[in-house]
Amino acid sequence: MRLRSTVAGGLLSLALLAAGCGRLPVEQTERYVPPDQVTDFHALYNTNCRACHGPAGENGPAMDLANPEYQALVDDATLRRIISNGMPGTQMPAWAQSAGGMLTDAQVNAIIEGMRKEWSKPNPFQEATPPAYEQPSGADAKTQTADVKQGQQLYQAHCASCHSGHARQELTSPIYLALISDQALRSIIIAGRPDIGQPDWRHDNGQLSPQDVTSIVAYLSSLRTNTAISAPPVPLSSRR
Amino acid sequence: MPRMKRDAKTVYNWLERRLQIEGPVKDAALHKVPRSTASWWYVFGSAAFTLLLLQVVTGILLALVYSPTAANAWNSLNVLNHQIPLGWFIRALHGWGSNFMVAIVFIHMCQVFLFGAYKFPRELTWIVGVFLLLMTLGMAFTGQVLRFDQDAYWGLGIGVFMMSRVPLIGGALVHFLLGGPNISGATLSRFFTLHVFVIPGLLLSFAMVHVWMVLKLGINEWPMPGRLVRRETYIAIYNRLSHEDGIPFVPGAFWKDLIFSGAIVAAVAVCAMVFGPYGPGGMPNPSIIQTTPKPDFPFLWIFAILAYLPPALETPVILVAPILAIAGLLALPFVAGEGEKSWHRRPIAVLTVSFIAVAWGVFTHLGTYTPWSPHMNAWSSDAIPARYTHSATPLVREGAVVFQAKQCRNCHEIEGVGGQRGPALDDVATRMTPDEMRYKVVTGGGNMPAFGKNLSPAEVEALVAFLETLHPANERPAYDGALRETSTHNGSPPPVTGSK
Ligand code: HEC
Ligand code: HEC
Ligand code: HEC
Repeated sequence: MRLRSTVAGGLLSLALLAAGCGRLPVEQTERYVPPDQVTDFHALYNTNCRACHGPAGENGPAMDLANPEYQALVDDATLRRIISNGMPGTQMPAWAQSAGGMLTDAQVNAIIEGMRKEWSKPNPFQEATPPAYEQPSGADAKTQTADVKQGQQLYQAHCASCHSGHARQELTSPIYLALISDQALRSIIIAGRPDIGQPDWRHDNGQLSPQDVTSIVAYLSSLRTNTAISAPPVPLSSRR
Repeated sequence: MPRMKRDAKTVYNWLERRLQIEGPVKDAALHKVPRSTASWWYVFGSAAFTLLLLQVVTGILLALVYSPTAANAWNSLNVLNHQIPLGWFIRALHGWGSNFMVAIVFIHMCQVFLFGAYKFPRELTWIVGVFLLLMTLGMAFTGQVLRFDQDAYWGLGIGVFMMSRVPLIGGALVHFLLGGPNISGATLSRFFTLHVFVIPGLLLSFAMVHVWMVLKLGINEWPMPGRLVRRETYIAIYNRLSHEDGIPFVPGAFWKDLIFSGAIVAAVAVCAMVFGPYGPGGMPNPSIIQTTPKPDFPFLWIFAILAYLPPALETPVILVAPILAIAGLLALPFVAGEGEKSWHRRPIAVLTVSFIAVAWGVFTHLGTYTPWSPHMNAWSSDAIPARYTHSATPLVREGAVVFQAKQCRNCHEIEGVGGQRGPALDDVATRMTPDEMRYKVVTGGGNMPAFGKNLSPAEVEALVAFLETLHPANERPAYDGALRETSTHNGSPPPVTGSK
């Protein structure tokens, strides 16, 4: 009898508890947000960009987006274009739905806004004026003609000191160059990649002029186009 | 007061005069059962019945709001979740009630099996019970489809996939089930009809028959090792047990049923409160591919088995196994209708149940974390650990980018993140030489897609350069010197060890 009344009491209180749930917060049941309505920068960055651009925008295999110099170098319109349409011919995908990606324009804007808020710093260049983000075209281009010969010399003078020796010479390897765009090279040379130790255009060996940057990229670019890469033979003897 | 009592009595008598139900009810309640059946082991059947009633009640409440059309089903569930007071709780009760019911029905069946309760004269009770089990599963399955979200699609997808394997009529069956060639509004109407009219109707009538037989044939006595069941003598022995040492069913055995059923309903309520309702998850929009849908709990094991079956075995297993299983269950009381009831002397029965329980547990566990299905977001969300990109070379970093961009990560883990369809690649460099990697990436094999056509030669080289750096810091990569000499060709970089 004692047992029965105890159990009954227990059940009754549980029932009361259940009745009280009407007042539990409704957040109890998380509302499902369709993926195209997510506009939180961190959520967007972490699902779409983190793998290549690194957690928090740096230390990833691709460009260090959290570098304040890079953020200062590139304007919103350019970012919007790159993120929306990708960088054709490279592994940077197009994200805008209009270009076959999965992000809405609002989401692309949210990413840009978030990057600015989190990663921009006021005046990262101090006194210096960096070369333009893109290689100038039109009238400006005349003052900055690309000179492959000169580029090669500049490369020897400014880059080879660090990029020499076995593996680091890869920068001039056609295989590497086949995978990276001129623009990416240019961005790296100008803004640097502080996360992996690549200096910006003002490194120890002296500051590079806009003309120098253009020539170095032209030199590297010439190595890419001049050498054909053929597929290595796949050895049939391989066990797997 | 006495006057009211008198009136009530008059009404009761008027009704009883015509219905004449008092006698049978009293008989049923007070009939004698063997003392040994008043056991906590004998409470699962009544709990299953209680859950069935709970499902009926909550189901009716849900049907007041739910709208079984493709356009509105999903929305009406959200209305229930967020706009109707306690709507979410009713949904949660119904969803958890369903899980509990499936579980209790299974437990009930195992108990009946282990106690030999299916033996003479209760063969038909068992057979009806098998159908009750199938219908309970049918309810769980059709109910999940009514949610009409992405998980529902998945569950249905599996069902359809199994059906489409039926020789000759597979296509027609699928068409019949879905009300068309694919999942659509017509599918939903069909499943609504099944879930709300057809199966519950059958389920309730079968349950009545089942209970009727339990009442008529008596509750199975506690099995004693050595007391064998024989057609000629069983009834006499049972009658002696229940009359000489019997107790009235109510309250003698019934109070345990009541308490247990109450506890189960309370457990459902607690789960409903704590875990909330099921979904609805993502809208069933096939263009949203960033999801990893999963069927509901009772079907996870099927999901797992399907994923592990080698392709050649799929059709035979899918088509033959369920038929064999059901036929086996139905045949059981005819094959073993007499003899020993006690589990102490039926080692094979005990082993079978344990084996099935363990296998089910393992497959369900595997089902909850789906190692085989690619992680759709891994390629763009799972970071390459900094130690691989930090001190790497430019080509290795490009390789890492290719690795992500070509979605290798969706199937391959690095440092515990990524898909698990293929092997983790943390130490792949200690297992494979660069040529073997190249070969594997280009030609695939064994569930690894062949990437040959989708990768440029430069991409392959970069990938291999990256894969070569994947080894524990203190272990050397597999170094195939002879092959390495010959594979340094037209200007490709010198060997990259990545451990500079
Ligand atoms: C699969 C890997 C990958 C993913 C995912 C990825 N990127 Fe990129 N991204 C790259 C690569 C590689 C480059 C450089 C491409 C080149 O060679 O030009 C790049 C370049 C960029 C650049 C231009 C850098 C420059 O040189 O100016 C921006 C901006 C950028 N990504 C933003 C994003 C954003 C935002 C996302 C997420 C929505 C994203 N990326 C996701 C691989 C990726
Ligand atoms: C002070 C040394 C130093 C100098 C000078 C230098 N680099 Fe680097 N660079 C690095 C380091 C360190 C890395 C990262 C490690 C690596 O990739 O080998 C790097 C990486 C790179 C990368 C690959 C970046 C990536 O995202 O994978 C490029 C491209 C590059 N450097 C171009 C250049 C060019 C062009 C010059 C000459 C204008 C140059 N570097 C001068 C140190 C230097
Ligand atoms: C659809 C899933 C899937 C994708 C995508 C995938 N793999 Fe695999 N991969 C597998 C499976 C499964 C195996 C095991 C194959 C076997 O049994 O031999 C495997 C094996 C491998 C192996 C051999 C590992 C070992 O230890 O034996 C390498 C290397 C590999 N994959 C690299 C890659 C690369 C590089 C990519 C991207 C270009 C990639 N995989 C994409 C599923 C995948």
